[in-house]
Amino acid sequence: MNLIRITAVTAPPSPIELLELRPVVFALAELGLLAVAGGLLGAWIVLRRLAFFTHAAGTATFPGLVLAEAGAFSPRLAALVVALGFAGGVERAGRRGRDPGDVATALLLVAALAGGVVLASDVFESGAAVDRLLFGTAVGLDWGDLLLSGAACLLALGTTVGLGRAWTAAGFDPEGADSMGLPSSRADLLLLVTIAVAVVAALPAVGALLVSSIFVVPAAIARLFATSVTGLLRSAVLVAAAQGTLGLYLALWLDVPPGPAVSVLGAGAYAACALAKASGSRRRGPLPAARATA
Amino acid sequence: MSAADAPVVSAQGAALAYAGAPVLDCLDFAAGPGTAVSVLGPNGGGKTTLFRALVGELSPVSGSVFAQGRPAYVAQTERTRLDFPVSALDVALMGSLASGRWWLPARRSERRSAEAALERVGLASEAGTRFGALSGGQRRRVLIARALVQDATVLLLDEPLAGVDPASAEQIERLFGELRSEGRTLLVSTHDIENARRYDLVLCLNRRQVAFGSPQDVLLPKILEETYGSEIVILQDGGGPVRAIAVGHHHH
Repeated sequence: MNLIRITAVTAPPSPIELLELRPVVFALAELGLLAVAGGLLGAWIVLRRLAFFTHAAGTATFPGLVLAEAGAFSPRLAALVVALGFAGGVERAGRRGRDPGDVATALLLVAALAGGVVLASDVFESGAAVDRLLFGTAVGLDWGDLLLSGAACLLALGTTVGLGRAWTAAGFDPEGADSMGLPSSRADLLLLVTIAVAVVAALPAVGALLVSSIFVVPAAIARLFATSVTGLLRSAVLVAAAQGTLGLYLALWLDVPPGPAVSVLGAGAYAACALAKASGSRRRGPLPAARATA
Repeated sequence: MSAADAPVVSAQGAALAYAGAPVLDCLDFAAGPGTAVSVLGPNGGGKTTLFRALVGELSPVSGSVFAQGRPAYVAQTERTRLDFPVSALDVALMGSLASGRWWLPARRSERRSAEAALERVGLASEAGTRFGALSGGQRRRVLIARALVQDATVLLLDEPLAGVDPASAEQIERLFGELRSEGRTLLVSTHDIENARRYDLVLCLNRRQVAFGSPQDVLLPKILEETYGSEIVILQDGGGPVRAIAVGHHHH
């Protein structure tokens, strides 16, 4: 957040004036592309209970990013290699009948964070760069970042169109999907790989720690109200776009990093929506089906 | 045996195992078109394992199993995700995925087929209702509708009447009769020994094939005791038909 500094927090900045700044336009474009990728994939992440995997995939890239920065090789490539390796490991564990969100994933998460911190502080003395790797910097992106996010966006769209029915059937009834001859294992592996690629694309904007704010929070909000998979996909993209745009604006106005601003906004929105839904349910009473079976 | 009577589902000296551990042995049976087979056995006796082998998920370690075409499998509803945002129509439509066009959007004809299947199980009015909001019996009927959309010759049904309300049970039983008259073969796993009498054939499993044949030949105290061990109570063994109850099983 060194590019733009608004000294007074008293008056909100004009959105039109902000759009005259190239870094802001880049940030908006990046968050727009990630809204499509994050919204679509987020819907599958929430439906298939892969939130922990997604968070862990982002965090697992941290030591790779530190090494790339110190070694002056491509951080995107380093992150991609680590994330894909992680996705492959989780898929392999799943095939052996173990839950992807198990203790091994948690241990990997802790090990990755601890390893990254040790590498950053004691080995390479990365200093302030650690903040950027962990929390990202949406204002300060280049064409390469946008291209990678564009590719992630297309990948999310393509896989949702081509594999959405299989992912829905396999998530709803895994045994039923297998008995119908669906290639569930391969489809699930592709879902994990697609998430891993999209997570890497989101790293420059939101960092290794906050990828969940793009891939989990909007879909979790949409999931509270969605009554169909298609509705969930559409509303998750819309929520992600609104969260990204508003989060970026708040970050510029309050002079805070965009990644945390987007995350805090999303978490607050989720809490408000969950409370609103719970109070609405209390007012309405039990559903007719629940009353019938009570 | 004419081609029309040739078995559409069979096993010949088959043994099934998970990762080398034997689960089911000595399978030897055959059923022709339009036959209803009741599969009896205790929990862990191998009923679901047999179904998995018939849909091709599990290969026999010896012998062979055969089912014509790809059988439609109706699992217990407890294995489905009730929190999924899918309607009864969405679930029925999933049956069209068995055609192999899973990467393409559903065609209108497939949607019509799913609507017709829901109508057939008496749930046309619930097409838009979320699956998780339906009663247990209705959910079971929706999964049967999904199997109907698959248009399979052989249907494998895992305890379709367990915990089902009387109205749904009656509807399901009537549908089974219609499917048999269409020439479809049904394998229905159950713990309800009295219900098994209404089937053409009975297959008793307890980690091996204990017996196979007509209800009057198979539903005898000795065979039932061999199938269920201590999990069975013989209620009557006089001049009339044997009455028995399998105990210690889950009733959903």
